[in-house]
Amino acid sequence: MTDADFVAWEIIVGLGGATFMIRYWPLAFLSRADLPGWLKRALRYVPPAVMAAIITPPLFFIGTAPTIGPDLPRLTAAALAVLVAWRTRSTLLTIVLGMLALWTLQALSS
Amino acid sequence: MPQVPGARTEFMAGIRAFLPMSMSILPFGVVCGAAAVAAGMSVPQAMAMSLLVFAGSAQIASSQLFGSGAPWWVILATGVIINLRFLMYSASLSQQFAGLGRRWQAVIAYLLTDQAFALTSMRGGTPSNRRHLHWFYLGFGCATWLSWQTATVVGIVLGNLVPARWSLDFIVPLTFIAMLVPILDNPALFCAALAGGLAAVFLVLPLKLNLIAAALLGIAVGLIVNRWVERRD
Repeated sequence: MTDADFVAWEIIVGLGGATFMIRYWPLAFLSRADLPGWLKRALRYVPPAVMAAIITPPLFFIGTAPTIGPDLPRLTAAALAVLVAWRTRSTLLTIVLGMLALWTLQALSS
Repeated sequence: MPQVPGARTEFMAGIRAFLPMSMSILPFGVVCGAAAVAAGMSVPQAMAMSLLVFAGSAQIASSQLFGSGAPWWVILATGVIINLRFLMYSASLSQQFAGLGRRWQAVIAYLLTDQAFALTSMRGGTPSNRRHLHWFYLGFGCATWLSWQTATVVGIVLGNLVPARWSLDFIVPLTFIAMLVPILDNPALFCAALAGGLAAVFLVLPLKLNLIAAALLGIAVGLIVNRWVERRD
């Protein structure tokens, strides 16, 4: 087994175990009690913060180069996708129209 | 006396409730499978990730971090932060499912997703649905699980076949845009997203700590804006 292989298994098993405990612990041991208020308030902002942080880097980092610059076709296609998601709330339409926009813009700019 | 639906009826209702959700879960599963392969994971590893972790956002983030050579503890910590929201869901469900045995609790925990939590809480709001709510949850969870694993396999296969110039990696941000935009229904949530998104790009941190830092910063901004808004009202 190579080093990268070992790291991959470490992550998979570690994250699998940790995720199960996060899902199991309150259900099994908290019955009748509750999470503290500050934690509940903070957890509400995990999904928007995390999702946005996953969305933006591929729109700005071109390839794996460490230089920051807007990748214009991707940024424009993403902006269009935000509009589609907002107006239609449809996952499928957002993905399909977003990909079509990206391909069109890439064809035009090459 | 009101009619209380039986266990089997509720299980089937859970499966039916999944159908409209499949439109968002299936493409997300495909993306997760493809992302794992693109990051350099083997087919058994990509499959094991989907089976053991069973949480899309954390799977995608850890695949990408793995592909970019981040240290294992950064990847693990990032995945844990992303999945911390399950604490909230699990705590809330512990009220609905009080009195179930350990085995049921373990199954419910494993099958816990954003969608399962949202739909089950909504359904549990009606008292006559509560008696067999765990069967509704199980039906929904099994349908989600089967579709997720199937979609992952499709993603693994596609990820190996589709050439890079098709830019299919762009489906990742698109999928997240489709999930993010509809939940931004107040200023605090919007600012949390804005801060997280900007920080992920402009924070230059070693060891790929950007994602964790961006998430924490987004949470902090969300809390602060929420306090401002509450004080103003």
